[in-house]
Amino acid sequence: MLVSLTNVSKSYRLGRVGVRALDAVDLDVARGDFLALAGPSGSGKTTLLNLIGCIDKPSGGRIVLDGVDVTAVPLHRLAATRRDTLGYIFQTFNLIPVLTAYENVEYPLLLQNVGRRERDARVRRWLDQVGIAAQAQQRPDQLSGGQRQRVAIARAMVAEPKLILADEPTANLDSDTAAHILDLLAKLNAETGTTFVFATHDPAVMSRAQRLVRLHDGRISENAHALVA
Amino acid sequence: MTARIAFRNVFRNRRRSAITLLVIVFGAVGLILFGGYKQQTFRGLRESTIRSRLGHLQIYKRGFASNEAKKPLEYGLDDVAALRRAVESDKRVKMTAAQITLMGLVSNGDKSETFIATAVEPLKEKQMNGYRLVGGTDLPANEPDAVLVGRGLATSMHVKAGDYLTLMTTTTAGSLNATDVRVAGIFMSGIKEFDDRAVKMPIAGAQQLLQTKKVERLIVMLNDTDDTAAVRADLARTQPQIEMKSWSELASFYHQVVMLYNGIFGFLGLIVSAIVVFSVANTILMSIFERTREIGTLMAMGTTRARIARMFLAEGVVIGVLGAIAGVVGGALLASLINRGHVMLPPPPGYTVGYPLRMLLTPSILLTAAFISIVTATISSIVPALKASRMNVVDALGHI
Repeated sequence: MLVSLTNVSKSYRLGRVGVRALDAVDLDVARGDFLALAGPSGSGKTTLLNLIGCIDKPSGGRIVLDGVDVTAVPLHRLAATRRDTLGYIFQTFNLIPVLTAYENVEYPLLLQNVGRRERDARVRRWLDQVGIAAQAQQRPDQLSGGQRQRVAIARAMVAEPKLILADEPTANLDSDTAAHILDLLAKLNAETGTTFVFATHDPAVMSRAQRLVRLHDGRISENAHALVA
Repeated sequence: MTARIAFRNVFRNRRRSAITLLVIVFGAVGLILFGGYKQQTFRGLRESTIRSRLGHLQIYKRGFASNEAKKPLEYGLDDVAALRRAVESDKRVKMTAAQITLMGLVSNGDKSETFIATAVEPLKEKQMNGYRLVGGTDLPANEPDAVLVGRGLATSMHVKAGDYLTLMTTTTAGSLNATDVRVAGIFMSGIKEFDDRAVKMPIAGAQQLLQTKKVERLIVMLNDTDDTAAVRADLARTQPQIEMKSWSELASFYHQVVMLYNGIFGFLGLIVSAIVVFSVANTILMSIFERTREIGTLMAMGTTRARIARMFLAEGVVIGVLGAIAGVVGGALLASLINRGHVMLPPPPGYTVGYPLRMLLTPSILLTAAFISIVTATISSIVPALKASRMNVVDALGHI
């Protein structure tokens, strides 16, 4: 298993009110999974994604990521794990506005101290792979929503992580663009074997997932494999 | 990449960065102008103090400073001619001038006042040019009983050039002696208290009045002030019968001015630094607030806290460097414009003549202004940088 969650819960305070975002969640994500976390707003999808992504700590339970118990390590010590094991795709793209598309994709490789020649080759390959090579020198504000998300996908993939976490990756895109992005993600999953976990409301994303995990009030209500991949 | 991101982020909100840069530029320009003015004042005051009054070195007979003389010139120099030959053989020495200081009463027949006379060698005194003649002529070379009278004393004594006064003092033997002198001219030094008591007379006349062949001191004028310590050391080795004081030991007013100006400069520097600190810190804090989600994204991607902190520190450095460059260029241009404008300042307290406003721009002043700008801007970004690096990633990503 790439990710294994055992009896994971997460509570936090919202003003004076205690909120139980996740309650005794058990979940395994296998290598190569193309998994959608579905559920209504407040069901705990994003919280679960944050915990798997090592940017939040559970209140209880255990999370093992690629063989490492990440619940035992302080968050700020998990920067290297995030850098080398995980890739993020955000609903609002979250590109660095002052960097060009090329530089945005290059950034994770700089964190990994990849040499200049190899860096350049990988950045160009991934920009080409997501179909954005012609816009390499443009900044995010010069790109359309679909183009920005393609850059974000290239940025997430370029460091060759084992797991890509995507929070509502198609929510800010029109249906055509969203379909193209989903095609691209499915293709990358199939070609590279990279594991994808999405948090989504979008029925189109759910229908494309190989595996669907439904959350309701912080608990897993359905955990099913699709009949057709 | 850290520097690239920092540099571009500085220009992201141009108006805000421009205001911050302006604050740094104004601060640097202020430091340069005041520093240049201070430097010019120090140099001008130092050289005028040396060239017109004190000389670089003053030579006395050994024991002059440590013993209280019971009679005038008890510790005077006996064979000044031989000493002068030895001192002037050094090529770093421009000239020497013998002097005596004496005090006594001056009378016009109707009233008496105390005077402080400096007995000088008329031709040497003319070269030193430490006073301004406001009536009559300079001291003649060969008239022992001619004197110059300070303007205040001349007014008090109701004398003009050509009139006669009587000087009375104690001789080296301890008896009283008096002589009639002709007022050759009236002078002013610029210091009122001095001009109210001052008399200049030829050294030959003073020696007659004091009934001696001795002189009190030999003033040594050098070509270059920077040689003072070296010449002093050489003279101390070759002339054991003498003792010396350098201009610095005698120029108490100069040192008071230096201390005062340095204090003001330090205070000004503190104010400028405080303004820059608040301005830069405010700019970077606003930038962090606007970029909270971006910081969250960078951290989610595996950027370490230290790297985030470095990124914002680098922004402080970039702002500081840009401000320093613009400030140094602006300060140097403004200083040269002021220097060309020949602006006159009013007389300082105790002086009767004004002086030109000039700035002496030395590399150290420009470097100091640049250094303060960069260091202050960098220091101001430390707290915001630490704040950014300690953000909670989930909260930062959820920031709108």
